Amino acid sequence: MSGKRPIKFRVLEFFLDGKEYWNYEIVSKIQEEYGMRSNFQRDSINFDILELASGGMLKDVEQKVDDEGIYKKGFLLHKYMITDFGRVRGSDACLMGL
Amino acid sequence: MDLKTLKKQESKRKISKGYMWALFCAVFWGIWYLPGTVVWVLNPFDEMSSAIAKTSGDGISLVVTAVLITAFNALAVMLALMLWNGVLGKYGELVRTLKEFHPCSKWFFLASIFGGPMAILGSFIAMGFIGGAFSAVAGLLYPVVGSILAYYWYGEKISKRAAIGIGVIVLGGISIYGGGLFTELSSGNVPWIGYLGGLMAAAGWGIEGAIAGKGLDIAEPDAGLTLRFLGENIIWWIIIIPILAIIGFPMYSFALKAFEPLTLLILVFAGITFGFCYVTWYKSFPLIGVGRGQGIGNLYGFCAVIFIFLFFGDVPDWTILVGGLLCIAGSFIMFTEDTSELETLRGE
Repeated sequence: MSGKRPIKFRVLEFFLDGKEYWNYEIVSKIQEEYGMRSNFQRDSINFDILELASGGMLKDVEQKVDDEGIYKKGFLLHKYMITDFGRVRGSDACLMGL
Repeated sequence: MDLKTLKKQESKRKISKGYMWALFCAVFWGIWYLPGTVVWVLNPFDEMSSAIAKTSGDGISLVVTAVLITAFNALAVMLALMLWNGVLGKYGELVRTLKEFHPCSKWFFLASIFGGPMAILGSFIAMGFIGGAFSAVAGLLYPVVGSILAYYWYGEKISKRAAIGIGVIVLGGISIYGGGLFTELSSGNVPWIGYLGGLMAAAGWGIEGAIAGKGLDIAEPDAGLTLRFLGENIIWWIIIIPILAIIGFPMYSFALKAFEPLTLLILVFAGITFGFCYVTWYKSFPLIGVGRGQGIGNLYGFCAVIFIFLFFGDVPDWTILVGGLLCIAGSFIMFTEDTSELETLRGE
Protein backbone atom coordinates (compact mmCIF):
# COMPACT_ATOMS: atom_id res chain seq x y z
CA MET A 1 0.00 0.00 0.00
CA SER A 2 2.87 2.36 0.69
CA GLY A 3 3.65 5.17 -1.71
CA LYS A 4 0.29 5.07 -3.45
CA ARG A 5 -1.87 8.16 -3.65
CA PRO A 6 -5.59 8.26 -2.92
CA ILE A 7 -7.57 6.91 -5.86
CA LYS A 8 -9.09 10.20 -6.95
CA PHE A 9 -5.62 11.79 -7.03
CA ARG A 10 -4.46 9.02 -9.33
CA VAL A 11 -7.51 9.38 -11.57
CA LEU A 12 -6.91 13.11 -11.95
CA GLU A 13 -3.26 12.40 -12.63
CA PHE A 14 -4.23 10.26 -15.63
CA PHE A 15 -6.32 13.08 -17.05
CA LEU A 16 -3.72 15.79 -16.47
CA ASP A 17 -2.16 14.97 -19.85
CA GLY A 18 -5.23 16.62 -21.38
CA LYS A 19 -6.35 13.56 -23.33
CA GLU A 20 -9.82 12.01 -23.26
CA TYR A 21 -10.23 8.61 -21.66
CA TRP A 22 -13.08 6.10 -21.43
CA ASN A 23 -14.18 5.22 -17.92
CA TYR A 24 -13.29 1.53 -18.42
CA GLU A 25 -9.73 2.45 -19.41
CA ILE A 26 -9.18 4.36 -16.19
CA VAL A 27 -11.03 1.82 -14.05
CA SER A 28 -8.98 -1.12 -15.29
CA LYS A 29 -5.71 0.78 -14.87
CA ILE A 30 -6.57 1.65 -11.28
CA GLN A 31 -7.75 -1.90 -10.59
CA GLU A 32 -4.41 -3.18 -11.75
CA GLU A 33 -2.29 -0.61 -9.92
CA TYR A 34 -4.11 -0.90 -6.62
CA GLY A 35 -4.81 -4.62 -6.83
CA MET A 36 -8.58 -4.13 -6.64
CA ARG A 37 -9.98 -7.16 -8.38
CA SER A 38 -13.60 -7.53 -7.27
CA ASN A 39 -16.63 -6.19 -9.12
CA PHE A 40 -17.58 -4.19 -6.06
CA GLN A 41 -14.23 -2.44 -6.08
CA ARG A 42 -14.51 -1.88 -9.80
CA ASP A 43 -17.86 -0.14 -9.31
CA SER A 44 -16.48 1.90 -6.46
CA ILE A 45 -13.67 3.22 -8.70
CA ASN A 46 -16.26 4.08 -11.32
CA PHE A 47 -18.25 5.95 -8.68
CA ASP A 48 -15.12 7.96 -7.86
CA ILE A 49 -14.96 9.04 -11.49
CA LEU A 50 -18.64 9.95 -11.31
CA GLU A 51 -17.97 12.03 -8.20
CA LEU A 52 -15.11 13.86 -9.89
CA ALA A 53 -17.42 14.61 -12.82
CA SER A 54 -20.20 15.87 -10.57
CA GLY A 55 -17.70 18.01 -8.71
CA GLY A 56 -16.95 19.72 -12.01
CA MET A 57 -13.41 18.36 -12.33
CA LEU A 58 -14.09 16.00 -15.23
CA LYS A 59 -16.40 16.54 -18.16
CA ASP A 60 -18.45 13.78 -19.78
CA VAL A 61 -17.70 14.25 -23.47
CA GLU A 62 -18.96 11.11 -25.19
CA GLN A 63 -21.10 8.07 -24.50
CA LYS A 64 -21.48 4.73 -26.24
CA VAL A 65 -23.35 1.52 -25.63
CA ASP A 66 -21.27 -1.31 -24.24
CA ASP A 67 -22.28 -3.95 -26.81
CA GLU A 68 -19.28 -6.18 -26.30
CA GLY A 69 -19.25 -6.19 -22.52
CA ILE A 70 -15.98 -4.27 -22.15
CA TYR A 71 -17.19 -2.98 -18.83
CA LYS A 72 -20.79 -3.98 -18.25
CA LYS A 73 -22.72 -5.36 -21.16
CA GLY A 74 -25.75 -3.34 -22.18
CA PHE A 75 -24.80 -0.33 -20.08
CA LEU A 76 -23.41 3.03 -21.12
CA LEU A 77 -19.73 3.81 -21.35
CA HIS A 78 -18.56 7.36 -20.74
CA LYS A 79 -15.60 9.25 -22.08
CA TYR A 80 -14.23 12.06 -19.94
CA MET A 81 -11.75 14.87 -20.14
CA ILE A 82 -10.39 17.17 -17.45
CA THR A 83 -11.87 20.66 -16.92
CA ASP A 84 -9.94 23.81 -16.01
CA PHE A 85 -11.13 23.46 -12.43
CA GLY A 86 -10.02 19.83 -12.42
CA ARG A 87 -6.64 20.87 -13.75
CA VAL A 88 -6.18 23.33 -10.88
CA ARG A 89 -7.35 20.89 -8.22
CA GLY A 90 -5.45 18.03 -9.83
CA SER A 91 -2.15 19.85 -10.05
CA ASP A 92 -2.55 21.12 -6.47
CA ALA A 93 -3.03 17.60 -5.24
CA CYS A 94 -0.98 15.45 -7.52
CA LEU A 95 2.14 17.36 -8.40
CA MET A 96 2.83 18.17 -4.79
CA GLY A 97 5.51 15.91 -3.43
CA LEU A 98 6.11 14.04 -6.63
CA MET B 1 -30.91 -0.86 -27.27
CA ASP B 2 -30.04 2.52 -28.67
CA LEU B 3 -27.95 5.23 -27.08
CA LYS B 4 -30.84 7.56 -26.36
CA THR B 5 -32.99 5.15 -24.36
CA LEU B 6 -29.93 3.90 -22.51
CA LYS B 7 -28.99 7.45 -21.58
CA LYS B 8 -32.47 8.06 -20.31
CA GLN B 9 -32.41 4.83 -18.36
CA GLU B 10 -29.06 5.63 -16.82
CA SER B 11 -30.04 9.11 -15.72
CA LYS B 12 -33.30 7.77 -14.29
CA ARG B 13 -31.37 5.21 -12.31
CA LYS B 14 -28.93 7.82 -11.07
CA ILE B 15 -31.68 10.20 -10.04
CA SER B 16 -33.77 7.66 -8.18
CA LYS B 17 -30.71 6.33 -6.37
CA GLY B 18 -29.60 9.86 -5.53
CA TYR B 19 -32.98 10.80 -4.10
CA MET B 20 -32.98 7.60 -2.11
CA TRP B 21 -29.61 8.43 -0.51
CA ALA B 22 -30.70 12.00 0.19
CA LEU B 23 -33.90 10.80 1.84
CA PHE B 24 -31.96 8.31 3.94
CA CYS B 25 -29.80 11.22 5.02
CA ALA B 26 -32.83 13.24 6.10
CA VAL B 27 -34.26 10.29 8.03
CA PHE B 28 -30.98 9.41 9.77
CA TRP B 29 -30.26 13.03 10.61
CA GLY B 30 -33.79 13.48 11.94
CA ILE B 31 -33.65 10.32 14.04
CA TRP B 32 -30.34 11.44 15.57
CA TYR B 33 -32.22 14.04 17.64
CA LEU B 34 -33.96 11.18 19.52
CA PRO B 35 -30.84 9.65 21.12
CA GLY B 36 -29.44 13.17 21.33
CA THR B 37 -32.32 14.29 23.52
CA VAL B 38 -32.67 11.06 25.49
CA VAL B 39 -28.99 10.85 26.42
CA TRP B 40 -29.34 13.96 28.60
CA VAL B 41 -31.56 12.16 31.12
CA LEU B 42 -29.40 9.04 31.26
CA ASN B 43 -26.57 8.43 33.67
CA PRO B 44 -23.79 9.39 33.97
CA PHE B 45 -24.79 12.59 32.18
CA ASP B 46 -27.79 13.31 34.38
CA GLU B 47 -25.77 12.86 37.58
CA MET B 48 -22.91 14.80 36.09
CA SER B 49 -24.94 17.90 35.29
CA SER B 50 -26.52 18.00 38.74
CA ALA B 51 -23.16 17.39 40.44
CA ILE B 52 -21.45 20.19 38.54
CA ALA B 53 -24.46 22.48 38.94
CA LYS B 54 -24.00 22.39 42.71
CA THR B 55 -20.54 23.90 42.49
CA SER B 56 -20.48 25.88 39.22
CA GLY B 57 -24.08 26.77 38.43
CA ASP B 58 -26.60 25.47 35.90
CA GLY B 59 -25.22 27.12 32.78
CA ILE B 60 -21.67 25.88 33.12
CA SER B 61 -22.77 22.44 34.19
CA LEU B 62 -24.94 21.98 31.10
CA VAL B 63 -22.17 23.12 28.76
CA VAL B 64 -19.58 20.87 30.41
CA THR B 65 -22.00 17.94 30.28
CA ALA B 66 -22.68 18.74 26.61
CA VAL B 67 -18.93 18.50 25.97
CA LEU B 68 -18.79 14.97 27.37
CA ILE B 69 -21.92 13.95 25.44
CA THR B 70 -20.50 15.38 22.20
CA ALA B 71 -17.22 13.59 22.79
CA PHE B 72 -19.01 10.27 23.21
CA ASN B 73 -21.10 11.02 20.15
CA ALA B 74 -17.92 11.59 18.13
CA LEU B 75 -16.45 8.34 19.42
CA ALA B 76 -19.59 6.42 18.48
CA VAL B 77 -19.69 7.97 15.00
CA MET B 78 -16.02 7.09 14.52
CA LEU B 79 -16.68 3.45 15.46
CA ALA B 80 -19.66 3.27 13.09
CA LEU B 81 -17.60 4.74 10.25
CA MET B 82 -14.64 2.44 10.91
CA LEU B 83 -16.99 -0.51 10.67
CA TRP B 84 -18.45 0.92 7.45
CA ASN B 85 -15.00 1.38 5.91
CA GLY B 86 -14.09 -2.14 6.95
CA VAL B 87 -17.13 -3.59 5.24
CA LEU B 88 -16.33 -1.62 2.09
CA GLY B 89 -12.68 -2.67 2.25
CA LYS B 90 -11.46 0.92 2.35
CA TYR B 91 -8.82 0.90 5.10
CA GLY B 92 -6.12 1.19 2.44
CA GLU B 93 -7.75 4.28 0.97
CA LEU B 94 -8.22 5.67 4.47
CA VAL B 95 -4.48 5.48 5.14
CA ARG B 96 -3.61 6.86 1.71
CA THR B 97 -5.92 9.82 2.27
CA LEU B 98 -4.62 10.46 5.79
CA LYS B 99 -1.07 10.67 4.48
CA GLU B 100 -1.96 13.44 2.05
CA PHE B 101 -2.04 16.02 4.79
CA HIS B 102 -1.18 19.10 2.80
CA PRO B 103 -3.49 18.85 -0.20
CA CYS B 104 -6.26 16.93 1.45
CA SER B 105 -6.60 15.72 5.01
CA LYS B 106 -5.78 19.08 6.59
CA TRP B 107 -9.16 20.27 5.34
CA PHE B 108 -10.89 17.47 7.21
CA PHE B 109 -9.13 18.34 10.44
CA LEU B 110 -9.93 22.01 9.98
CA ALA B 111 -13.57 21.13 9.21
CA SER B 112 -13.78 19.03 12.35
CA ILE B 113 -13.01 22.09 14.48
CA PHE B 114 -16.14 23.79 13.21
CA GLY B 115 -18.22 20.64 12.90
CA GLY B 116 -17.46 19.34 16.38
CA PRO B 117 -16.89 21.99 19.07
CA MET B 118 -19.18 24.36 17.23
CA ALA B 119 -22.00 22.63 15.34
CA ILE B 120 -22.49 19.36 17.19
CA LEU B 121 -21.76 20.79 20.64
CA GLY B 122 -24.14 23.64 19.81
CA SER B 123 -26.83 21.17 18.78
CA PHE B 124 -26.47 19.24 22.03
CA ILE B 125 -26.56 22.47 24.04
CA ALA B 126 -29.74 23.52 22.21
CA MET B 127 -31.26 20.08 22.88
CA GLY B 128 -30.35 20.27 26.55
CA PHE B 129 -31.47 23.85 27.17
CA ILE B 130 -34.49 24.19 24.89
CA GLY B 131 -35.37 20.90 23.20
CA GLY B 132 -34.79 18.59 20.26
CA ALA B 133 -37.25 20.24 17.87
CA PHE B 134 -35.75 23.68 18.39
CA SER B 135 -32.25 22.32 17.97
CA ALA B 136 -33.12 20.55 14.73
CA VAL B 137 -34.94 23.46 13.20
CA ALA B 138 -32.35 26.04 14.25
CA GLY B 139 -29.69 24.03 12.41
CA LEU B 140 -31.66 24.53 9.20
CA LEU B 141 -30.18 28.00 8.95
CA TYR B 142 -26.78 26.56 7.97
CA PRO B 143 -27.11 27.07 4.18
CA VAL B 144 -27.29 30.82 4.72
CA VAL B 145 -23.95 30.79 6.52
CA GLY B 146 -22.45 28.41 3.98
CA SER B 147 -23.36 30.44 0.93
CA ILE B 148 -22.38 33.79 2.43
CA LEU B 149 -19.04 32.26 3.32
CA ALA B 150 -18.58 30.85 -0.18
CA TYR B 151 -19.37 34.31 -1.54
CA TYR B 152 -16.65 36.03 0.44
CA TRP B 153 -14.17 33.18 0.46
CA TYR B 154 -14.06 31.87 -3.07
CA GLY B 155 -16.12 34.52 -4.76
CA GLU B 156 -18.98 32.16 -5.57
CA LYS B 157 -21.83 34.13 -7.04
CA ILE B 158 -25.17 34.25 -5.28
CA SER B 159 -27.86 34.16 -7.92
CA LYS B 160 -31.14 36.01 -7.56
CA ARG B 161 -32.91 32.77 -6.89
CA ALA B 162 -30.42 31.79 -4.20
CA ALA B 163 -30.83 35.23 -2.62
CA ILE B 164 -34.59 34.75 -2.45
CA GLY B 165 -34.05 31.35 -0.87
CA ILE B 166 -31.72 32.88 1.71
CA GLY B 167 -34.34 35.54 2.45
CA VAL B 168 -37.02 32.90 3.04
CA ILE B 169 -34.70 30.90 5.31
CA VAL B 170 -33.86 34.02 7.32
CA LEU B 171 -37.58 34.72 7.77
CA GLY B 172 -37.87 31.15 9.02
CA GLY B 173 -35.02 31.80 11.41
CA ILE B 174 -36.74 34.87 12.79
CA SER B 175 -39.85 32.80 13.41
CA ILE B 176 -37.89 29.98 15.09
CA TYR B 177 -36.00 32.27 17.42
CA GLY B 178 -38.46 35.13 17.72
CA GLY B 179 -41.48 33.07 18.73
CA GLY B 180 -39.97 31.51 21.81
CA LEU B 181 -37.96 34.58 22.71
CA PHE B 182 -41.06 36.76 22.72
CA THR B 183 -42.89 34.76 25.36
CA GLU B 184 -39.70 34.20 27.35
CA LEU B 185 -38.78 37.87 27.39
CA SER B 186 -42.14 38.68 28.93
CA SER B 187 -41.64 36.02 31.58
CA GLY B 188 -38.07 37.24 32.10
CA ASN B 189 -36.53 33.81 31.77
CA VAL B 190 -34.59 33.46 28.53
CA PRO B 191 -32.44 30.34 27.89
CA TRP B 192 -29.78 32.39 26.10
CA ILE B 193 -27.22 29.58 26.06
CA GLY B 194 -29.70 27.36 24.26
CA TYR B 195 -30.27 29.98 21.57
CA LEU B 196 -26.52 30.43 21.28
CA GLY B 197 -26.27 26.65 20.79
CA GLY B 198 -28.74 26.84 17.92
CA LEU B 199 -26.69 29.58 16.27
CA MET B 200 -23.52 27.57 16.82
CA ALA B 201 -25.12 24.63 15.00
CA ALA B 202 -26.08 26.73 12.00
CA ALA B 203 -22.79 28.63 11.76
CA GLY B 204 -20.67 25.54 12.47
CA TRP B 205 -22.32 23.36 9.82
CA GLY B 206 -22.16 26.16 7.27
CA ILE B 207 -18.44 26.67 7.85
CA GLU B 208 -17.74 22.95 8.07
CA GLY B 209 -19.40 22.36 4.72
CA ALA B 210 -17.42 25.09 3.00
CA ILE B 211 -14.12 23.79 4.37
CA ALA B 212 -14.71 20.06 4.11
CA GLY B 213 -15.76 20.46 0.49
CA LYS B 214 -12.21 21.45 -0.40
CA GLY B 215 -10.90 18.11 0.78
CA LEU B 216 -13.87 15.97 -0.15
CA ASP B 217 -13.89 16.80 -3.83
CA ILE B 218 -10.54 15.04 -4.24
CA ALA B 219 -11.02 12.28 -1.66
CA GLU B 220 -13.40 9.39 -1.25
CA PRO B 221 -16.14 10.59 1.09
CA ASP B 222 -16.12 7.35 3.10
CA ALA B 223 -12.47 7.91 3.95
CA GLY B 224 -12.73 11.69 4.20
CA LEU B 225 -15.63 11.65 6.64
CA THR B 226 -13.85 9.16 8.86
CA LEU B 227 -10.85 11.48 9.01
CA ARG B 228 -13.11 14.40 9.83
CA PHE B 229 -14.40 12.44 12.84
CA LEU B 230 -10.89 11.33 13.72
CA GLY B 231 -10.09 15.04 13.97
CA GLU B 232 -13.10 15.65 16.17
CA ASN B 233 -12.14 12.80 18.51
CA ILE B 234 -8.64 14.23 18.85
CA ILE B 235 -10.10 17.63 19.71
CA TRP B 236 -12.38 16.24 22.43
CA TRP B 237 -10.41 13.40 23.96
CA ILE B 238 -6.87 14.75 23.64
CA ILE B 239 -7.41 18.49 23.98
CA ILE B 240 -10.67 19.70 25.52
CA ILE B 241 -11.55 16.97 28.02
CA PRO B 242 -8.05 16.87 29.55
CA ILE B 243 -8.14 20.68 29.82
CA LEU B 244 -11.52 20.60 31.55
CA ALA B 245 -10.22 17.87 33.85
CA ILE B 246 -7.19 19.97 34.76
CA ILE B 247 -9.45 22.93 35.52
CA GLY B 248 -11.15 20.62 37.98
CA PHE B 249 -14.29 19.22 36.37
CA PRO B 250 -14.81 15.51 37.07
CA MET B 251 -14.63 14.52 33.39
CA TYR B 252 -12.88 11.16 33.68
CA SER B 253 -14.83 9.83 36.64
CA PHE B 254 -18.10 10.42 34.80
CA ALA B 255 -16.72 9.31 31.42
CA LEU B 256 -15.79 5.95 32.96
CA LYS B 257 -19.34 5.57 34.23
CA ALA B 258 -20.72 5.75 30.68
CA PHE B 259 -20.29 2.01 30.27
CA GLU B 260 -23.84 1.21 31.28
CA PRO B 261 -25.85 -0.91 28.87
CA LEU B 262 -28.63 1.60 28.21
CA THR B 263 -26.29 4.57 27.87
CA LEU B 264 -24.05 2.64 25.51
CA LEU B 265 -27.02 1.52 23.47
CA ILE B 266 -28.24 5.09 23.05
CA LEU B 267 -24.73 6.29 22.17
CA VAL B 268 -24.33 3.56 19.57
CA PHE B 269 -27.71 4.56 18.16
CA ALA B 270 -26.52 8.18 17.95
CA GLY B 271 -23.28 7.12 16.29
CA ILE B 272 -24.95 5.01 13.65
CA THR B 273 -27.60 7.58 12.74
CA PHE B 274 -25.19 10.51 12.68
CA GLY B 275 -22.41 8.64 10.88
CA PHE B 276 -24.71 7.41 8.17
CA CYS B 277 -26.43 10.73 7.70
CA TYR B 278 -23.06 12.11 6.67
CA VAL B 279 -22.26 9.12 4.44
CA THR B 280 -25.59 9.13 2.64
CA TRP B 281 -25.48 12.89 2.23
CA TYR B 282 -22.25 12.67 0.28
CA LYS B 283 -23.42 9.63 -1.70
CA SER B 284 -26.34 11.65 -3.03
CA PHE B 285 -24.28 14.53 -4.40
CA PRO B 286 -22.73 12.88 -7.49
CA LEU B 287 -26.09 11.42 -8.42
CA ILE B 288 -28.46 14.37 -8.12
CA GLY B 289 -26.09 17.27 -7.57
CA VAL B 290 -25.04 19.02 -4.40
CA GLY B 291 -28.02 21.36 -4.56
CA ARG B 292 -30.77 18.79 -4.60
CA GLY B 293 -28.85 16.60 -2.19
CA GLN B 294 -28.76 19.40 0.35
CA GLY B 295 -32.32 20.52 -0.34
CA ILE B 296 -33.69 17.06 0.37
CA GLY B 297 -31.24 16.43 3.16
CA ASN B 298 -32.72 19.46 4.87
CA LEU B 299 -36.00 17.64 5.22
CA TYR B 300 -34.22 16.30 8.33
CA GLY B 301 -35.78 19.20 10.22
CA PHE B 302 -39.19 17.91 9.30
CA CYS B 303 -38.24 14.30 10.11
CA ALA B 304 -36.87 15.34 13.49
CA VAL B 305 -40.07 17.15 14.46
CA ILE B 306 -42.16 14.13 13.44
CA PHE B 307 -39.96 11.60 15.24
CA ILE B 308 -39.87 13.73 18.37
CA PHE B 309 -43.65 13.94 18.28
CA LEU B 310 -44.02 10.17 17.75
CA PHE B 311 -41.57 9.14 20.45
CA PHE B 312 -41.89 11.85 23.06
CA GLY B 313 -45.32 13.26 22.22
CA ASP B 314 -43.89 16.78 22.16
CA VAL B 315 -45.61 19.22 19.86
CA PRO B 316 -43.30 22.14 19.18
CA ASP B 317 -44.55 25.73 19.26
CA TRP B 318 -46.25 26.82 16.07
CA THR B 319 -43.51 29.42 15.55
CA ILE B 320 -40.96 26.59 15.31
CA LEU B 321 -43.16 24.69 12.86
CA VAL B 322 -43.71 27.75 10.65
CA GLY B 323 -39.99 28.59 10.83
CA GLY B 324 -39.01 25.05 9.90
CA LEU B 325 -41.37 25.02 6.93
CA LEU B 326 -39.95 28.35 5.73
CA CYS B 327 -36.39 27.03 6.06
CA ILE B 328 -37.17 23.89 4.06
CA ALA B 329 -39.02 25.91 1.40
CA GLY B 330 -36.10 28.33 1.25
CA SER B 331 -33.54 25.59 0.86
CA PHE B 332 -35.52 24.15 -2.04
CA ILE B 333 -35.70 27.58 -3.71
CA MET B 334 -32.01 28.06 -3.11
CA PHE B 335 -30.71 24.69 -4.16
CA THR B 336 -32.95 23.54 -6.97
CA GLU B 337 -31.53 26.24 -9.15
CA ASP B 338 -31.65 24.30 -12.36
CA THR B 339 -35.23 24.12 -13.57
CA SER B 340 -34.26 22.45 -16.84
CA GLU B 341 -33.98 18.69 -17.11
CA LEU B 342 -32.52 16.76 -14.24
CA GLU B 343 -29.79 15.22 -16.39
CA THR B 344 -27.75 18.38 -16.48
CA LEU B 345 -26.35 18.79 -13.03
CA ARG B 346 -23.72 21.15 -11.87
CA GLY B 347 -20.59 22.15 -13.75
CA GLU B 348 -22.16 22.30 -17.21
